[in-house]
Amino acid sequence: MLKLLNTILIGLSTGAIYSLMSISLVLVWRSTRVVNFAQAGQAVFSTYIAYEVSLRTGNFWLALLCAVLSGALLGAFIDFFFMRMLFKHVTSGPIRAIAPVVATLGLLGIIRSAVGYIWGVEVKPLEPPVSTDGIRIGSEVLPFSTYDALILLIVFVVLMILTFIFQRTSLGLSLKASAFSPEISRLSGVRVDLTRTVGWAIAGACGAIAGVLATPTSLLSPNSLDILLVFGFVAAVIGGLESMLGAVVGGILLGLGVTFIANYVGSTLVFLSAFVFLIIVLLVKPAGIISGKRSRNA
Amino acid sequence: MPKKLKVRLSLFILLGWVLLLLGDRVDELRVYQGASIAVYAIAIGSIVLLTGYSGQISLGHGALMAVGGYVAALASFEFGVPFWAGFILAALFSGMFGGLLGIAAARLSGPYLAGTTLALAVGLPSLANQFSILGGEQGLYFDIGMPPAILGESFTQYKWFYWIASLAALIVFFLLSNLLSSRYGRTWRGIGSNETAVALSGSNPQRLKIVAFTLSSALAGLSGALLVMTISTASPSAFPLALSLSVVTGAVIAGVSSLKGVILGSVILVAIPEVADAISHRVGDTLRISSTLPGLIISVLLVLAVLFTPNGPGENLRHLLHKGKSHK
Repeated sequence: MLKLLNTILIGLSTGAIYSLMSISLVLVWRSTRVVNFAQAGQAVFSTYIAYEVSLRTGNFWLALLCAVLSGALLGAFIDFFFMRMLFKHVTSGPIRAIAPVVATLGLLGIIRSAVGYIWGVEVKPLEPPVSTDGIRIGSEVLPFSTYDALILLIVFVVLMILTFIFQRTSLGLSLKASAFSPEISRLSGVRVDLTRTVGWAIAGACGAIAGVLATPTSLLSPNSLDILLVFGFVAAVIGGLESMLGAVVGGILLGLGVTFIANYVGSTLVFLSAFVFLIIVLLVKPAGIISGKRSRNA
Repeated sequence: MPKKLKVRLSLFILLGWVLLLLGDRVDELRVYQGASIAVYAIAIGSIVLLTGYSGQISLGHGALMAVGGYVAALASFEFGVPFWAGFILAALFSGMFGGLLGIAAARLSGPYLAGTTLALAVGLPSLANQFSILGGEQGLYFDIGMPPAILGESFTQYKWFYWIASLAALIVFFLLSNLLSSRYGRTWRGIGSNETAVALSGSNPQRLKIVAFTLSSALAGLSGALLVMTISTASPSAFPLALSLSVVTGAVIAGVSSLKGVILGSVILVAIPEVADAISHRVGDTLRISSTLPGLIISVLLVLAVLFTPNGPGENLRHLLHKGKSHK
């Protein structure tokens, strides 16, 4: 019973981080029709910024803030200088279908090498703001820690902020509109290109938070967040790749599923289970749990 | 035998002769690199078949190579199968595995397929730690034995690798270039550019895509088995995510739409570590530079290739020559 409770709690906090990564992939996919594999690199860059700030000031919250800002800046930078150029250059041939994927992979490699050059390739720790030891209930020690609770809280706050932006502000409306129908939005006076860059910035910020939250319980290295990217992608596909709500639900479900596998079946199967979940979803419900109208072959 | 086929066959025999002579002229390190080039060439060829022709993408070919490598190693380690049969088994098994994957893949498009195969590349090698028969982190030892005595005393192990890998590559590319210039190749090309048109002309795009994925996986498996031969162990660390990505990179740099660039792509992949080494020696060999430079070079090349030579450097060269002519 206690094991079940543990699994659920850990699953939730793991899933919360997947959700954030998943949201950042969904935001970019909706506006640009690119699955941004470079997001793992962007997140790792921001996390290194957080590491640097945390090392100098010892303040986790300042570090998180700096990571968010740098993540947003880097996201906007990549869209503005790189993606625009990509779409201008690549117009025809068999490469057309795979160019965005390959380009973001190249970008991932560049960011990762740059990070490795600046901070070295040795693993680095990031100090958590609160204890990562399990919470004690009577004589039992749960694996669920104060830090896991903090993750849930932070992700909840971030989701609230995002909901506010998308439901209550005109920026949110233009983000949704230009993702849904760029042509009509442009005709209605939305600056679609600028809006897309803002979308990339928000996505970069979400990825940065995911990276910073995931790191204290593991270690930081130039490719330490690749796995998070894969899980974020799987979560996004479970949720349909189009909807932010779907991304959150997908992330939580995946977090729970992965934790159940790790606790009840075997922790070496965790990586493969992501692939299995993905295949199952794609075969059984290819449009995702929260499905949009668009088909998957678009 | 049609005339075109005859010409092609003699061309490949000639190429084999040149490779044979080359193997005698260069030192051990180059011979070993030659074997690696042949291994990568097969892997890149499998991506060209998949992406350039049938329009599918795979970021998980490293995992399929792992399947081939492990099958070959298991066959010789556990069942004492001769190594050449191990290579054939490797291609068969990874082809079957790829066929199953292809059934799922044929329903997916670009980003979904990319993500799915990426998840496979991340997940599959960890299986080695789950089943003890796969040897865990140390992996399985794979030894193809000494070169036959008939080849002489001075015939080294590396040269033996080089011969086997080159012969395999030559056979693969002879078959592949024939296949791609056949009806199949043309229909695959059609799927890549306009699937609906292919369906309307009476072919079944789904089935053709699955066939392409199966064949491509079989080739990947064969190259995985050859890779395991050159490093003598099949272990999870031999098939990292980076392998999958560098195979795609090689294909894109060489021009994903034709087989002609395959050698260029594989030479670049093998040369990059050496170039990076030379550069980091020149600027003062710090661990930082030498450990990040190969990745940087390969990624920069990838991005530049996508931006400026999206259909391969050959295509750009042809355009350039055309322009030159029309100006005269």
